[in-house]
Amino acid sequence: MQHQIALSGLLCLAAAAGAYAQALPQTPGAKNAITDVPGIEVGHHTATNGSGGMTGTTVILARGGATAGVTQRGGAPGTRLTDLLKSEKAVGTAHAITLSGGSAYGLAAADGVMACLERQGVGMSLGNGVIVPVVPQAILFDPGRCAAFNFRPDASFGLAACQAASNGPVQMGNVGAGAGARSGGAKGGLGTASATLPNGVVVGAIVAVNSAGRTFDATSGDFFAGYTLSPADGAAAAARMLPAARVADGGEIEQVEPQVLLQATTIAVVATNAKLTKGQANKVAQMADDGMGRAIRLAHGTGDGDTVFTLATGTVAGEPNIDQIGSAAADVLSRAIIRALLNAESIHAGSCNVLSYCEQFPSRCAVSKR
Amino acid sequence: MRTNRLRDVVLLSLLLCGFKLAALAQTPGQYNAITDVPGISVGHATGGDSGATVVLVGGPTGQGVPAGIVTRGGSPGTRETDVLNPVNRNESVNAIALAGGSLYGLATTGGVMLCLESRGVGVAVAGGLVPIVPTATSNDRATCGGPPSTRPDLATGQQACLAAAGGAVAQGNVGAGTGAVSGGVKGGIGSASVVLPNGIIVGALVSVNSEGAAYNGDGDLYALPFAIGEEARGLSKARADRVPTPPPGGPLRSGTNAVVATNVQLTKAQATQIAQMADDGIARAISPAHTAGDGDTLFALGTGRVSMSWLGDEAEVLTQIGTAAANAVSRAIGYALISAKSTPCQRSYCDSFPAACRGRNGR
Repeated sequence: MQHQIALSGLLCLAAAAGAYAQALPQTPGAKNAITDVPGIEVGHHTATNGSGGMTGTTVILARGGATAGVTQRGGAPGTRLTDLLKSEKAVGTAHAITLSGGSAYGLAAADGVMACLERQGVGMSLGNGVIVPVVPQAILFDPGRCAAFNFRPDASFGLAACQAASNGPVQMGNVGAGAGARSGGAKGGLGTASATLPNGVVVGAIVAVNSAGRTFDATSGDFFAGYTLSPADGAAAAARMLPAARVADGGEIEQVEPQVLLQATTIAVVATNAKLTKGQANKVAQMADDGMGRAIRLAHGTGDGDTVFTLATGTVAGEPNIDQIGSAAADVLSRAIIRALLNAESIHAGSCNVLSYCEQFPSRCAVSKR
Repeated sequence: MRTNRLRDVVLLSLLLCGFKLAALAQTPGQYNAITDVPGISVGHATGGDSGATVVLVGGPTGQGVPAGIVTRGGSPGTRETDVLNPVNRNESVNAIALAGGSLYGLATTGGVMLCLESRGVGVAVAGGLVPIVPTATSNDRATCGGPPSTRPDLATGQQACLAAAGGAVAQGNVGAGTGAVSGGVKGGIGSASVVLPNGIIVGALVSVNSEGAAYNGDGDLYALPFAIGEEARGLSKARADRVPTPPPGGPLRSGTNAVVATNVQLTKAQATQIAQMADDGIARAISPAHTAGDGDTLFALGTGRVSMSWLGDEAEVLTQIGTAAANAVSRAIGYALISAKSTPCQRSYCDSFPAACRGRNGR
């Protein structure tokens, strides 16, 4: 007890000084998912064509409305409503963020999310009986992978993902927007993680990793941002603890083809229960984006549409510590990216073969995949 | 198309011969519309209370062209605009879509994309084509107090794309301007063009759905002083004692969205510069403009028929294009107002100020 009091005292001092030491590993919330942020729900819709082709849509709902921001640093973006999220624009509240496969065609998914939320009466009132949900979106490039080029999400994907949304545990790997994703020659996917900060602030991230660059050293299998992992990150934690000698079983790693560099994209949402202004939400998105830069080499390339959104639900009152939240968001995003790779599963369907990280480095995943 | 090519050749010959008629007054193009710019076609799809307008663009061999954007309103409803940032890689836009339906209208883009994909138009990627169709929407307010009975969707985008053609452009209560309101009167679609003595062609198409009014306290259009040639003929002083009160503004309630195009080859950065200058045309024709509730998004396209280097100093040429584009936007806004027709709950400019329009044809 005395220790706790002493610790609290130290934390108070740190708070008063306006600086929190960012200690790793982070302490995840109960679900280690973006849904640990109260008010945030996640729904996936995934389609499989039976011959190895997959695509899908993931919706992150904030039915009560959340202050939203964005940063868009990849060179080949496909986005919706990002202009509205600029700090100087008049609307600062979003009701959902949509992440989807399908390249620019996949931007139709938000149509379905809007229809879903409109039916529930969620949105801004424009007068004349018009309710408009604000649903920014970003897409990634996955068409034509083990599938016809027109195997792609449409409005019905957004509708289904929205209807499937809940605040429970979040499925990772080959689902939703990450279903058809690839990452630097390995199977990409959907990942999520969260962190609880000492002052009651919760930060969560969800990401669809479809990067041109790689997330791990091709020889050792070490994740570039492995140092951010928490023991609670499951497979990831086990991988972190294993000595390098035991994991040098990588075998053949696919080379990253130049063409792939032009058709990639990693898209993410970070959420917090802190109360942020729109400008602060944009700042947190910028800082969170560093987590992508650390976890993926190369990141934000000319073929990446890399876009990161922020949702701040604002249930924790008081002046937010932006540096604390932004820094935590960066590490949570790094962890979510690694968890996407760890949960991705290989595809072996006829001539369609994509190796997962765990198939390439079985001993990395053996301990935790029990 | 053949006529356009012929015109290009003639134009090019004139340029190469050092043909200069700097003192000639500016004249509108053949259709006084954005379609006077070679490579540009326009299609409207009009529903009960709303609609969409698509501007298709092809470079000299039908390929996409670079585009720029400016979004100075406080409530932009946009799709595929980050791709236009000059730091981003893609240099190719295949169409611009403008739509009503507030943010729901962003569904329009999907239909335009499918239409273009089926025609083999788009940016080539592994396995297929991805048409790039930046889009801006605004909120339809010309209803009688209830929500609009229709809103543009994917099918509307397909329809507008299929309807796209060169030649004269329908104005007023059509396409994206169907449900538009401007200040206290009915808004709509307007278009205008200008041909400069050195062969530069600039056109504008505007969907006027502004919170502010396009006329002053006497009811006179702010755009009137920008008229060229004979286009102001028949317009008179409005001599109004009072002007109609605009409906209340607010976030996402309104927005004047526009496209300007020129036959000059532009980079993305140059197109962005043109968009920024052209946007002043909105500010000059509407007051207040760019309010918190306005979307006010403007796109600029260079169709690449005339090389910048043939025309002379780059900065000077950009100034010429930007100036002409701003004036064309103001003029197009004027045309939108005088072309719009009264609806059951929204009077047109000409019905609100009969003295102003008395001399126009058909009135």
